[in-house]
Amino acid sequence: MEIKVLFFGVLAEVTETMFRHYRNVESFSDLMLRIRDDYPTIAHYTYRVAVNNELVNDEPQLRDQDEVAFLPPFTGG
Amino acid sequence: MISSLLSLKDQNGETGAHSVFLGRVRADIKGGKTVKAIEYSAYESMVNREAEDIIQSILLQYDDVGSIEIRHSTGIVSAGEISLLVMVSGHRRHQAQAACSGAVELIKERFPVWKKEIYEDNSQEWQMPYLA
Repeated sequence: MEIKVLFFGVLAEVTETMFRHYRNVESFSDLMLRIRDDYPTIAHYTYRVAVNNELVNDEPQLRDQDEVAFLPPFTGG
Repeated sequence: MISSLLSLKDQNGETGAHSVFLGRVRADIKGGKTVKAIEYSAYESMVNREAEDIIQSILLQYDDVGSIEIRHSTGIVSAGEISLLVMVSGHRRHQAQAACSGAVELIKERFPVWKKEIYEDNSQEWQMPYLA
């Protein structure tokens, strides 16, 4: 499946990436392995993951064309 | 901005209270440097979803509240300017005030928005320490 990945805040800065498409993704854990391999610096940062605008806590079941976002702690207001 | 909002909020004459929260960028001094602006970035589609959820939960909790308006700036906001507006309108003041306060807390907790401080010497820093 093809997955759209978004980075926000400091993560967009350290990865120098705002969005990227990953093809042939087999699962969420497969996606995470590829992202950690491509962007090893994110391991130093705190973040949460949202799938299609919804925060997820465990390993979600991804579907083709899902949007996976990496979100640093919120500081709005 | 506020006067134009107020004129829109009372079409039927039943609103007796507007409670407004305005968040403003402070010219804090950190390490001898003064904040001249904050750059806000947001995950806009998720912000819209969270805003809708927050509004619906507040309306459910406070039956005297008639409407809620939320506006959050993105991009660069100078010190002294407004970055967040929340306006809750209702029949009487008590629920409007409580609902406004509750909405602000939920926005701070749930809005996917990030701020980077820009100092007078043009150096920049994300507001929270992210290094584990």
